[in-house]
Amino acid sequence: MDISSAVIDSLHPLEIKVLTTLSARQPGTALDSEQLASAAELEPSQFSMAVEWLLAKELITIQAETVTPVVSLTKIGEEYYQGAAPIERVLDAAREAAGTGKRLTIPDLQSQDGLDPSDVSKVVGRLKKEGVLLIVQGGCIETTGRPSQTVEALRTLLKQMHESSRALVEFSEGDRRVIEDYAVKRGNAKEPFRVDERVTRVFMLSPSGVSAAAQLLQQGVAEEVSQLTPDMLKDGSWRQKRFRKYTISLRAPRVGTGKKHPYREFLDAVKTKLVSMGFQEMRGPLVETEFWNMDALFMPQFHPARDIHDVYFVKQPTHASAMDESVLSHVAQVHQHGAETGSTGWGYSFDIQRAKRLVLRSQGTAVSARTLAASPSIPGKYFSIARCFRYDQVDATHATDFFQVEGIVLGEDINFRTLLGLLNLFAREVAQAKEVKFLPAYFPFTEPSVELHVRHPRLGWMELGGAGLFRPEVTLPLGVTVPVIAWGLGLDRMAMVALGIHDIRELFTDNLELIRTTRGLF
Amino acid sequence: MPTITIYKDDFQSLLGDAEPAHRAVSIEELEAWLMLVKGELKGYTPETGELRIELQDSNRPDLWCCEGIARQIRIKQRGKLLPYPFVSRQSKSRMQIIVKPGMEQVRPYVAACAARGYRVTTEGLAQLIQTQEKLAEIFGHKRKTVSIGIYQLPKIKFPVTYELVKPDEARFTPLGMETVMTLSEILMVHPKGLEYGAILDGAGRLPILRDAASQPLSFPPIINSREVGEVQVGDDQLFVEVTGTDLSMVVLTLNIFASNLADRGAMIEPVEVQYSMNTPLGKRVTTPVDLGKSKTIRIDTIEHALGQELGVKTVARALETYGYHVASGKGSVKVKLPLYRQDLMHTMDVVEDVAMSLGYAEFTPVMPAQSTVGGLSDIEQTSDRARELMVGLGFQEIISNILGSPESYSGRMRLDETEWGRMVEVDNVMSLSFSCLRQWILPSLLRVEAASSRAFYPHRLFEAGDVAIPDAFHELGSRTDTALGAVIAHASAHFSEIHSCLDVLFYYLGKEYILETVQHPSFLEGRAGRILVAGRPVGVIGELHPEVLERWQIAMPVVAFDLNLSHLTVGTEVRELLS
Repeated sequence: MDISSAVIDSLHPLEIKVLTTLSARQPGTALDSEQLASAAELEPSQFSMAVEWLLAKELITIQAETVTPVVSLTKIGEEYYQGAAPIERVLDAAREAAGTGKRLTIPDLQSQDGLDPSDVSKVVGRLKKEGVLLIVQGGCIETTGRPSQTVEALRTLLKQMHESSRALVEFSEGDRRVIEDYAVKRGNAKEPFRVDERVTRVFMLSPSGVSAAAQLLQQGVAEEVSQLTPDMLKDGSWRQKRFRKYTISLRAPRVGTGKKHPYREFLDAVKTKLVSMGFQEMRGPLVETEFWNMDALFMPQFHPARDIHDVYFVKQPTHASAMDESVLSHVAQVHQHGAETGSTGWGYSFDIQRAKRLVLRSQGTAVSARTLAASPSIPGKYFSIARCFRYDQVDATHATDFFQVEGIVLGEDINFRTLLGLLNLFAREVAQAKEVKFLPAYFPFTEPSVELHVRHPRLGWMELGGAGLFRPEVTLPLGVTVPVIAWGLGLDRMAMVALGIHDIRELFTDNLELIRTTRGLF
Repeated sequence: MPTITIYKDDFQSLLGDAEPAHRAVSIEELEAWLMLVKGELKGYTPETGELRIELQDSNRPDLWCCEGIARQIRIKQRGKLLPYPFVSRQSKSRMQIIVKPGMEQVRPYVAACAARGYRVTTEGLAQLIQTQEKLAEIFGHKRKTVSIGIYQLPKIKFPVTYELVKPDEARFTPLGMETVMTLSEILMVHPKGLEYGAILDGAGRLPILRDAASQPLSFPPIINSREVGEVQVGDDQLFVEVTGTDLSMVVLTLNIFASNLADRGAMIEPVEVQYSMNTPLGKRVTTPVDLGKSKTIRIDTIEHALGQELGVKTVARALETYGYHVASGKGSVKVKLPLYRQDLMHTMDVVEDVAMSLGYAEFTPVMPAQSTVGGLSDIEQTSDRARELMVGLGFQEIISNILGSPESYSGRMRLDETEWGRMVEVDNVMSLSFSCLRQWILPSLLRVEAASSRAFYPHRLFEAGDVAIPDAFHELGSRTDTALGAVIAHASAHFSEIHSCLDVLFYYLGKEYILETVQHPSFLEGRAGRILVAGRPVGVIGELHPEVLERWQIAMPVVAFDLNLSHLTVGTEVRELLS
């Protein structure tokens, strides 16, 4: 009978071992499980797997099946073997009492630790019947001094069966009675022995098994392996091996990964874009003075956004210990009357102490202001991705701290049209948008001011950012005499869509599974 | 900035002959017009004609009302602003307000006018009330600088006096109440008294406006009299007064109301205010009054700022159609704002109005031509390199809030009352959960660990980010550094596992380090090390203390390190900017 090579290929090394073991005997030889397993040099679990597979493929058949009662120890039996059976304990106690002359009653025994009261009565009954114990007046137990056959037989059996289980037929008549007395029966699981029916099967090759074995022999691939090893490569023995084929379509097991955070990946992409457009990164502190956060940006000290309900104030220390006094007084004068900037100023008396008040940075523009005062390059382009803090109730659209992406562009050629040109570039590079709209806008520190709306390829029309030319009241007191664009990009919505989330708080989620499984598609 | 409600029909009627009344203005048209006023349409209910509009410009309070928005559009359609007659006719006024001595200490200024001949409609009344609220609340800093009262003119006998009285000396029935109350009762009981009373804190005597018959009109800035100050639909003679602490803001507010009522068809009659003290406008001030000053602006200044050649004619036309009074000169224009505006601080303010009047779409974008070199700060480069390495070592990156609670940054870390537990704290705490800045990264990672016991193990997490470290020697009282924290959590997480990672990190960052035993309360004693670079402590590493894990409710061993990257980076830009 011919056997398809697919069947041959699918054979597991364990199956091949069983097949070849059987076919190595005289044709038609049948072996029982025990003989076959030991001839094939297989562990019981491996052997039974291989046999089941071969039976399913009808390469072997069962020639005969015999059922043998086999006795083995239960868990209780193991405990009795290691320690003592109740009958032994009762006898020991009785002998000890006899030795010391103490009174011993059934209730005394029943109160002993670890002895079941019902066991005690049963055991005492048996020992009495054997003539080993006597119950005398007052319920006292005494020994007769005779040895107990039951105890001795039980001990021997525990020892034998601890070594290995045996067929019931191997035991003497007397032992069998003890075994039956002490074997697990229905309704009583607390016994040391268990009698199981062991099925012994006798196997032989089926006709297709014969031809499969023949084919295996022909192929000369007695050994199929699952793993290529360094040794095989070293001695070239891989040439004599056959490598078991895998089921390639199975699901891959999960593996732990090292990965950037998807939101940071998004911000990294923006960072890279900005650097490629010629922007230099700038950084500033989380704790800022009101001066850099507001005053330097020409936001009057009575401005509503400087309220206690809009900015976080620092508890300790409350004020900066030192500041550049010349910049400070310059800005103060501009607030008061405009100084040399050509402005009327706000016309109020500027509070120097207020300028030194420490706050948590509320806008990234504070970083731009510091850069303006630190002799920036002209022409120059700068950006920062700055963590900012807002005194806001936290909800799906308001975070208490968040990233602001913003910066400045300085140069002689900066004007309203180059401002629009820069925004066009952002629209194209950052949002991949071809269509833009420029709307008039208001920011306290820029004039003119623009809002950039773009048609995002996936999101449709959206506001991408705000920008404007810094007011001369901002730039001149900080020592900058060329026009300066101030710009900011609102990227959180884009990020949220890219990450498939609807709640801004999820950008900083504590859900590891979510972070691990989110793909950033930008 | 304010969001207001207006009604489409009312709005359209205010456009007047600029728009034929029978033609319904479309929402698209309206949105295009709103660009002239930096307005954004937030909502439209076609059944009621209700439009909700957000106005962005905090320096243009004249636009926070239906009349103002309509006016700006009407001027554009008509080509120029028709002059308001009431300021040119500053003849002798029939009505006076006498400001008694002592007012300068509490709320010095008042301006007022009368309006006759406009019969108040339902929409008109709604607008009057809304404008009053928005101007007093936002422009007037919650009534502190400016507050407004509107009355039925026929009930008032002139002259009106503006003076200080003892809190129990004057009494009247305030709006919203049924009974007569003294000023002190109003402060203690009336909702507006409770809301705004603090403005008058410390004033022994309180301001009051009374007419010639000693009838109280108002207790500014708290509440008006119900008898005189409850304007109704159908009234056609009104009296408007504005009180406050800043004379030019008081005058501007009155000018806006006068213009709005004039736009609705009222004849505005001025009121003369007689001060006992001198004011920036003298002792006698007749209001409304135009405080605008002319400014001459060179055309090339405007052209340079906008990046486009325009010429005198185009600039003059653009400004005229935006409401300016314009006189053209040679290479320059002499401009003056209309009386309802006071926001001309700098030439750049005029530049923006030119651009808005012409429309931003009229300007072709041009790329800035000069080339610059881009780059990252030193600390960002270090941070990026460290992040790459951590990812290579199989760690998942985390980002967290920086503002958090002392409980997580210090308490659960067993750092209370230790040098490691000092943090920058917030003074005006809204919620304890957001009341201090993190001083190290590990709590941010334990936050994730605590929430992720069901996520596939092992966990290897890191975060590189800003921390704020209290520093008495720093002028800001703290330093902002960049730190890197990393944790490993699994059933047999072990010191040597995280140590190996630190070792690899230092190798590739090109730095030598040593560990010395440290007793750090967050870590198991004998299993924690201080990381030293060139003898300077730059971080800690160890097995987290079981009590820390218990406090975070983490049931898995965690080993960790926390490393200050700023200490490994020379010359970060933060330092440069601060020095």
